[in-house]
Amino acid sequence: MSNLVPVLIDAFSVGGLYALTALGIGLIFSVMRLANFAHAEFVTVPAYALFVLSAQPTVMAISAAVLVAVVLSLATERAAFRPLRGIDPATMLIASFTVSMFLQRLLVFAFDSRLKPVDPLAFLSGSVPLFGVSVNLLKLTTVITCLVLLVALTLFLKYTRFGLEMRAAAEDFTMSRLLGVRANRVIATAFVLSALLAAVVAVLFSAQTGFVQPRFGLQIVIIAFVATVIGGLGNLLGAAVGGFLVGVVATLLQTYLPPDLRPFREAFLFLIVIVVLLFRPQGLFPARGLKERI
Amino acid sequence: MSALLEIRKLTVSYGRITALSEIDLSVGVGEIVAIIGPNGAGKSSLLNAIAGVVPAAGGSVTLDGTEMLRLPLEESVRHGIAMVPEGRHVLPGLTVLENLRLGATIRTDLAAVKADLEGFLDAFPILRERRGEPAGRLSGGEQQMLVIARALMSRPRLLMLDEPSLGLAPRIVGQVYDMITQTRARGVTILVVEQNARRALSVADKTHVLNGGAIRLSGTAEELSGNPQFEAAYFGLRASVDE
Amino acid sequence: MIDRASPFAKNPKGFVHSLPSRAGLERLLPLLILVVIVAAIMLLAGQLGIVQQRRITLGFISMISVVGLYVFMGNSGVLNFSSVAFMAIGAYVSALLTMRPQVKATFLRDLPDWLASAQFDPWIGILAGGLVAALVALIVGLPLMRLSGIGAGIATLSLLIICYIVLGNWTGVTGGQRSLMGLPTYVTVWNAGLAAIGAIILAFIYQESRSCLALRASREDEVAARAAGVRVVRERLTAFVLGAFICGIAGVFYGHFLGTLRVENFYLDPTFLYITMLVVGGMRSLTGAVSGVIVISALAEILRLLEVGLRLPGLDAAIRAPAGLGDVVLAALMLGIILFRPQGITGGREITLRGLRD
Repeated sequence: MSNLVPVLIDAFSVGGLYALTALGIGLIFSVMRLANFAHAEFVTVPAYALFVLSAQPTVMAISAAVLVAVVLSLATERAAFRPLRGIDPATMLIASFTVSMFLQRLLVFAFDSRLKPVDPLAFLSGSVPLFGVSVNLLKLTTVITCLVLLVALTLFLKYTRFGLEMRAAAEDFTMSRLLGVRANRVIATAFVLSALLAAVVAVLFSAQTGFVQPRFGLQIVIIAFVATVIGGLGNLLGAAVGGFLVGVVATLLQTYLPPDLRPFREAFLFLIVIVVLLFRPQGLFPARGLKERI
Repeated sequence: MSALLEIRKLTVSYGRITALSEIDLSVGVGEIVAIIGPNGAGKSSLLNAIAGVVPAAGGSVTLDGTEMLRLPLEESVRHGIAMVPEGRHVLPGLTVLENLRLGATIRTDLAAVKADLEGFLDAFPILRERRGEPAGRLSGGEQQMLVIARALMSRPRLLMLDEPSLGLAPRIVGQVYDMITQTRARGVTILVVEQNARRALSVADKTHVLNGGAIRLSGTAEELSGNPQFEAAYFGLRASVDE
Repeated sequence: MIDRASPFAKNPKGFVHSLPSRAGLERLLPLLILVVIVAAIMLLAGQLGIVQQRRITLGFISMISVVGLYVFMGNSGVLNFSSVAFMAIGAYVSALLTMRPQVKATFLRDLPDWLASAQFDPWIGILAGGLVAALVALIVGLPLMRLSGIGAGIATLSLLIICYIVLGNWTGVTGGQRSLMGLPTYVTVWNAGLAAIGAIILAFIYQESRSCLALRASREDEVAARAAGVRVVRERLTAFVLGAFICGIAGVFYGHFLGTLRVENFYLDPTFLYITMLVVGGMRSLTGAVSGVIVISALAEILRLLEVGLRLPGLDAAIRAPAGLGDVVLAALMLGIILFRPQGITGGREITLRGLRD
């Protein structure tokens, strides 16, 4: 037990970040079939905001980071993705790569590509006792934040008018519009929510790593992407579960793989991904009405 | 009788294929107008063009004098056109209640929305009974009731129905058509598209036979059933589909 | 079986086999034009300085790789992020075969004796690089080719990541995170240009084959093509293996052009770049693949020259040059092309004389 608690906290603090990122990607995918790789920069750019404002009070820096993420995401939607609405998902995916590449190079241009120190949550550096072992406060906060956000998002989607419209649009976009659901508003809502989740990930992840660089968001987004597909594209619950699952599997591989093989742990992770896709091409929890024709 | 919906020279094409060519049609306030014709006649294209689901290549569609073409899809319901597309299109993962609420997306008079909702749940006890279940689990007939009720939740002036009897048992079709006549009794104008000609003729004030993208014949039920050209027009013996 | 598939092809009459010779010549025209263009660039490069020659050589290597990517992704319509992994395989295989035994002994301790002590001819390296890449593609493609859409994208991306991790950590054989130095640098603008022409010819021969016609039918409508008897998995696998072979050779040239291998050179950046080149040119035609490389490489070169030309005194160029404004503008231009021409510059058509006159 005492041995297991830190491993579980580790697993869930990693998995939670993947889950939030996977949800951010899944939200946009479900309403407009865009697999948005530029989500990486929705995470990276607010992390740079934290770096720039590192001398400011924590609350202010974090608020600014959230604001930056929202503005960036809405601007990206307006400039790049709105003109491509309705085009095939593969081209939209590639367009999102190009957006990602553009933003990344912009960051390199503005800040160069060296690591920049950030520590937005310095006050959480200690440990607390839990079940008889001491647990890192930051990791615990991460787990709790992720759970709170998951619950909040669920409540939002289930009980608010915006949430209802988003779920309707995810099921049948044209029918929803016939009922008066405004396409631009639903999509903008999805982008704003996605950006909020990305900003939270930026704060928590940069607090864990202690630095930011132009590819800060990329690795986490690639893994979250995989989680979204594993969970079942277009299924938000699936995306969240997929995120946790990938995080847990990665942590367990890290902990229990023989030391010789540890450097290869992500190779094993992605091997598992391929195997899952081969047996469940629609993911573990396929979304209704969204099957690509086979 | 003054016209609610006026269609002039409406043309719809998909690439090189013309689905509708220069259709003229008018629907009076409080009328039930039926469009009948075989598969591929252009019936669905007509409703889809009016609602804005497919773009029109030319012509005009006015509702009470307001031009409807070139409005974004989600605006047509705001002008009073509610559409029940072919295949019903319930939002299958949402509950029955959520489907009905979405029908009132455009309304802000929340108290009246609540009253309308209760009214439909009273009228269809099965919907009340299953209100918390995903709409996808309802039977075909129940789904048809649900989508008509959902469309009426927007308090439309014009209700458009695309093949409401498709795939339903005859008894259920009877119920659906009862619902249509009741709806008209409440002052809603109705434009219905049907392959089931007899059913449509029985309720319609006026019926148009559409084939090959053009209206071949028009009239009341008596006029059409007595017309020797009716079968030829319906089955397209004279018509040719432009491709 | 194939005849039944032909109605799905974009331009069925262009692929019918028994045609009179004039039509046959017309069919070859896109190939001839592309080869002439590449040859012209080679001749032009011969007149330029060493720096420009090296940039053009690099462009030819990109061209080989993008043509390899096109062979699978363009003809099948299935997303593929793994082409750079096959480049890596080709590059490392050739490196291990052609490096001097003394160099290998310094860096690579886990090589089998026959390999550690041998040094093969560059030709062997090129062929082996292509063939090993093709063999790996055959093995992994067998299960993978059943996937379509985003699933295929994620699976091939996973493949790229696995390859990157394995190469980066298999230190005794690949040098791991350290750079692998001492590859013979035999690549010139001439042999790279010839290899690019070879890749174009190979891709063209393939795209005129019945196998590729069936594959293109499945790209337009997979369900209908299956119903018409097209063995989609087999046709995709053929293209995947051929594409991997070409990409493997691109990797060999890349390695022997740089003289040094780093796993970072075979990861996301080049993957995105090559895919963007293909999409910008027009994913559905060989002309698109070739012109995407030419347009993006030319734009990059122009921007680089501007950047150098506009350099202000007192600014440290070492920091700005690899990561400057030019990169930002280039990405913006690529995005702009995708936004305004989602089907690419060529719109997915092959080049013809009529097209040139218009």
